[in-house]
Amino acid sequence: MEPFEIIIEYWPKLLDGALITLKLTFLCTLAAAIISPCLALFRVNASPIAQAPLRLYISFIRGTPILAQLFLIYYGSGQFRPLLQEWGLWSFFRDPFNCALLTFILNTTAYQTEILRGGIMGVNLGEIEAGKALGMNKMRILQRIVFPHAYRIAWPALGNEIILMMKASALASVVTIFDILGRTRQIFSRTFDFSIYLWAAILYICITAIFVLIWRQAELRLNKHILPSDHLISADDSFQSTTVKRLRDE
Amino acid sequence: MSKPDVILEANDIYKSFGNVEVLKGISLEAKNHEVISILGASGSGKSTFLRCLNFLEIPTSGTIAVHGEPVNIANGKPTNPKHIEAIRSRLGMVFQQFNLWTHRTAIENVMEALIYVKKMAKNLAREKAESLLERVGLEDRMHMYPSQLSGGQQQRVAIARALAMEPDAILFDEPTSALDPELVGEVLKVMQSLAAEGRTMIVVTHEMAFARDVSSKVVFFNEGKIAEQGTPDEMFKNPKTEAFQKFIAKI
Repeated sequence: MEPFEIIIEYWPKLLDGALITLKLTFLCTLAAAIISPCLALFRVNASPIAQAPLRLYISFIRGTPILAQLFLIYYGSGQFRPLLQEWGLWSFFRDPFNCALLTFILNTTAYQTEILRGGIMGVNLGEIEAGKALGMNKMRILQRIVFPHAYRIAWPALGNEIILMMKASALASVVTIFDILGRTRQIFSRTFDFSIYLWAAILYICITAIFVLIWRQAELRLNKHILPSDHLISADDSFQSTTVKRLRDE
Repeated sequence: MSKPDVILEANDIYKSFGNVEVLKGISLEAKNHEVISILGASGSGKSTFLRCLNFLEIPTSGTIAVHGEPVNIANGKPTNPKHIEAIRSRLGMVFQQFNLWTHRTAIENVMEALIYVKKMAKNLAREKAESLLERVGLEDRMHMYPSQLSGGQQQRVAIARALAMEPDAILFDEPTSALDPELVGEVLKVMQSLAAEGRTMIVVTHEMAFARDVSSKVVFFNEGKIAEQGTPDEMFKNPKTEAFQKFIAKI
């Protein structure tokens, strides 16, 4: 078959796979976005003893391959089937999609926590003190000062992590999930036409490119307070404007 | 503690960082309309003392009262920490490094605490912020971000931000020390006009002219203690302690 014939015949299946890939990526990013700010704050503020379990978890996730983590949950849960059944959790672990999703949530949460911790630690202490001095309470200071800065600082690294996660989600195909790669392998096993892998690669590249475009727009918005003004370019603006120029040119 | 015209009273404040004792029993009261300049060499504890007054540093021991509501501190723990936020909202603070929120425009910096601490409606907060920025001469810079303002302009926004809370007293922590020499004047002018309005101010400064001409009382810190205090006239014309004589001779 010609490369175009194969895509004309199989594009609905490939698109179907893309939806699964996007669903996995979106759901695990969403969960991590909710959990990681709390964990990151804990990493910054809690005593070393209190955060020992958290550090152990992060070290484990960062120190082992994501495929091994997926096998641990997917095949490992089978070992504990009676126990999980007793707890009413078996129906969750029986579904490979859930196993993959849980693995990816655990994985990306660990990374995003560390990224955000760096962001929080990069916030100018003086601005926090200014909030305190005006009588703002802790929640307000976090909401209005700490997190807006922390996310701005962490933004490029967070985007990187989401892209890595999107591509890592291809591992889900190993546990019978028909994401982009899963569908591609299925189509290949029927047609023995290698070009379907090229189409899959193009699809991954397109998703990444669109994501990068959106992410960069958001980044420019987050950085709008350090865009050079037309009215006043002073000496200390020159550093910032080169940063912004670089962002725009990329 | 219920002298009616005393706004702020600090009693026997001690502060240590680890083994280093920075403040060794400082007592100071600020009466209504008083402008107190705190002078001293670097390391004398003057900034630390100012930061203790609104609990940016928690003193090791002592008592701080704003309008007669005292907070006692023993072993580095305030007895009623819930009072601290209330005290802070009654004391304005202007920092050496301005500490404006860089992700918000000048007017947003001024509105922030009005909305989130005073719970003022947004449109009212905006009106108030506009008039305060006019007051410090920045009506044409309201919608600029701090990175687009000069140091002197940033410090004036910071003063407007402190004024917005209608504080009983304003603390200034070396407000002109981070400024280029040609920008010092515009900030001092604003501070001078605040003094003329009768605001209660405590100013840690190296500006001798301000201490001499604007303040009603000068306090000289030396090695964590108040070495000498009095009106600027008696202090500068007739310095009593050797430490203060040396200090003004250097400048």
